[in-house]
Amino acid sequence: MVRFLKHFFKELFGMLFLVVGVTAILYLIFNLMPGEFPGKGRGFEGYVNLLRRLFTFRFGTSIVSGRDINSIVFPAFRNTLILTIGSIFLSVMISVPIGIFSAFRGFETYSWPLSILTYLLSSIPVFYLGYLSLYLVSRYTGYLPIFYPHGAERGNPVLSYVLPILVLGFGNESISEIVRLISNELRRVMNTKYVTASKARGEPMLRSSFHEGLLIPLVSIIFSKVPFIIGGAVIVEYVFNWPGMGRLAFQSTLDRDLPVLIVITFLSVICVRSGMLIKEMLLLFIDPERRA
Amino acid sequence: MKRYYYERELPNIEKFYVPLSKRASVRDVVSIGFGLFVVSYLVVFFVISITNSFIKDPMEIDISRMFLPPSLEHLFGTDYLGRDIFSRIVKGTEAFFIPGIISISISTTFGLLFGIVSGYYAKYFSKIIFYFLNIIDSIPRIILILLIIVLFNPSIYLIMAFVGFSSIPKVSSYIKSKVDVLKRQHFIEAGKSLGLSESSLIFKHIVWLSSKSVLVIQATLGLGETVLIETSLSYLGIGVQEPIPSWGNMVAMGKDFFFQGKIWLSTIPALVIMFTIMGLYLLGDGLNSIYNEKVSR
Repeated sequence: MVRFLKHFFKELFGMLFLVVGVTAILYLIFNLMPGEFPGKGRGFEGYVNLLRRLFTFRFGTSIVSGRDINSIVFPAFRNTLILTIGSIFLSVMISVPIGIFSAFRGFETYSWPLSILTYLLSSIPVFYLGYLSLYLVSRYTGYLPIFYPHGAERGNPVLSYVLPILVLGFGNESISEIVRLISNELRRVMNTKYVTASKARGEPMLRSSFHEGLLIPLVSIIFSKVPFIIGGAVIVEYVFNWPGMGRLAFQSTLDRDLPVLIVITFLSVICVRSGMLIKEMLLLFIDPERRA
Repeated sequence: MKRYYYERELPNIEKFYVPLSKRASVRDVVSIGFGLFVVSYLVVFFVISITNSFIKDPMEIDISRMFLPPSLEHLFGTDYLGRDIFSRIVKGTEAFFIPGIISISISTTFGLLFGIVSGYYAKYFSKIIFYFLNIIDSIPRIILILLIIVLFNPSIYLIMAFVGFSSIPKVSSYIKSKVDVLKRQHFIEAGKSLGLSESSLIFKHIVWLSSKSVLVIQATLGLGETVLIETSLSYLGIGVQEPIPSWGNMVAMGKDFFFQGKIWLSTIPALVIMFTIMGLYLLGDGLNSIYNEKVSR
C-alpha cells in the first residue's frame, strides 16, 4: 500500500510539474503576441498571477458575454465528460470482440473482412458520419431527438445523449487501432509457454491469457486516446450543436475570446494528464512486472 | 549486411534474413497495394491540379447546370453553382499536399533528432527532452490549433507546421525505444571497437540501416492524420476558405442540400476522404506488419 501511495504522489507531482510547464509555454506564446489582452503579464510576477488564478479556479469573466467563466465552462465540461466516457465505452465494446475473434482466427476467413470493416469505420470523417446519422434518424425514424434540448420543456435529456455518443464512438478513429493492438498482443500471449501449459491442463485459453493479453494493452491504450477523443468531440459537438467544451472552444475561437480558451486549454490538459495518472495507477495494480 | 529482427516469431535467432516477398502475407500485399493506389492517385491529382491540364475549370460557375447528378460528362456531378465536383476534388489535393509534406517532414526530422539524442545519450538528455515532449503531448491537438488560430491568424501552412510539431513526441518515443534496443546489440559494440566514428554509427548503422522503417510508417500514418485534420478544419470553416476548393469545405457546402435528397454533393468528397485516409492507414499498417515494428498511430 505504501508503494502505491508513494507512486501516486510521485506521479501527481510529475503531473503538476507538467501542467506548470504547459502554462509557462502558453504564457510565453501570449507574450510574444503584440497587443493587450488577458493572460498577458509582465515578467515572472505576471506568470505567478496567471497560475494563481488558474489553480484557485478564479478565471475571471469572458470578453464577449461578460459572464463569469466558471458558470460557462463547468456545465460544458460535464457534458463533454459524458460524451467522452460514453464514446470510449462504446469503442471498447465494439472493438474488443472483433480483436478477440481475429486473434483466435489469425486473420483468416471472416476476420479479415471484419478488420477491413474496422478500418472503414475508423476512417469515415466524423463530420460526415454525424450528418448521415442525423439524416437517417430524422428522416426514416424519429425516435431519437437530433439536438440537445434547451429551455424549460427539455423533456428527457438522456435520449439526446444517444446519437452523439454513437457517432463519436464509431468515428473517433481508434477502433481499428484497438483491434490491431488487442489481436497482436493476444496472439503473442497465446503462443507463450504458460498459456500452452494451461491449455494442456484443460483451462480455457482466453481465461489464462486474459490478464496479459487483453487487460494491460486495453488499459494502456484507452487512456492514451483521451486527447484524440477530446479533439473529435470538438467536431461532433459542432455537428450536433451539443453544449460542450469543444463547441465552446470553437465558438470562443471565432469570437477571439481568449480567457475562455485559456481555461479550456487548462482543463483539457488536466483531463489528459489525470487520464495518464489513472492509467499509471491502474497498470500498477494490474501489471505485476511494473515496479514503483 | 542487412539485419532483420524476428523477436516475435523466432525469439532465439538474432540474425535471420527472409526476403520481403516471403514475409508478406496476402493480407499485407492487398493492404499495401491499396495504399500505393491511394498514394499514386494523390500524386496524379496533385500534378494535374498544379499544371491545370485535363480537367474542367474548378472555379467556373454555370447556373444552367446546377445540381446535376453524376454522369459521364460530369463524373461526380455538379454543385449548387454548377461547378464540376470532380475537378474540384482534383484541385482540392492542393489544400493538403504541400502542407502535409511540410508537417510530416517536421515531425520525422525533429522526432528523429530528439529520439536519437534521448536514446543514445540517455544518461544526460532523456529526462529533460521527454519533459518537453510530454508538454507538447498533453495539449489536445485541435485545442492547440484553435489557440494558434486565435493568436496568429495563420495560413494552412503554419497550422500544418504546428500539427507536425504536435506529433513529434510520438515519433521520437518510437525512435527512442528502437535506439534503446539497438545500442546494446553486438554490431554496435563491434563498430565501436573497430573505431567507427559516432556519427557513422548513429546515422548509418542505427538510423539508415535499422530504423528507417519506423520513419516511413510514421510518415504514412502522419500524412493520413494531416488529411483528416485539414478536412476537419476546412469543414469547421477555419482552414481553407470557400472559393478555393478543399475536400472538407466541399462536404460542408454539400451538407446544406443533404435534406433535399441531393446527397452526392457531400457524399462523394466524404467518400474520397474516407478512401484516402483508409489507404494511408492500411499502407502504414501493412508496412508495420512486414517490418515487425510495434508502431501505432
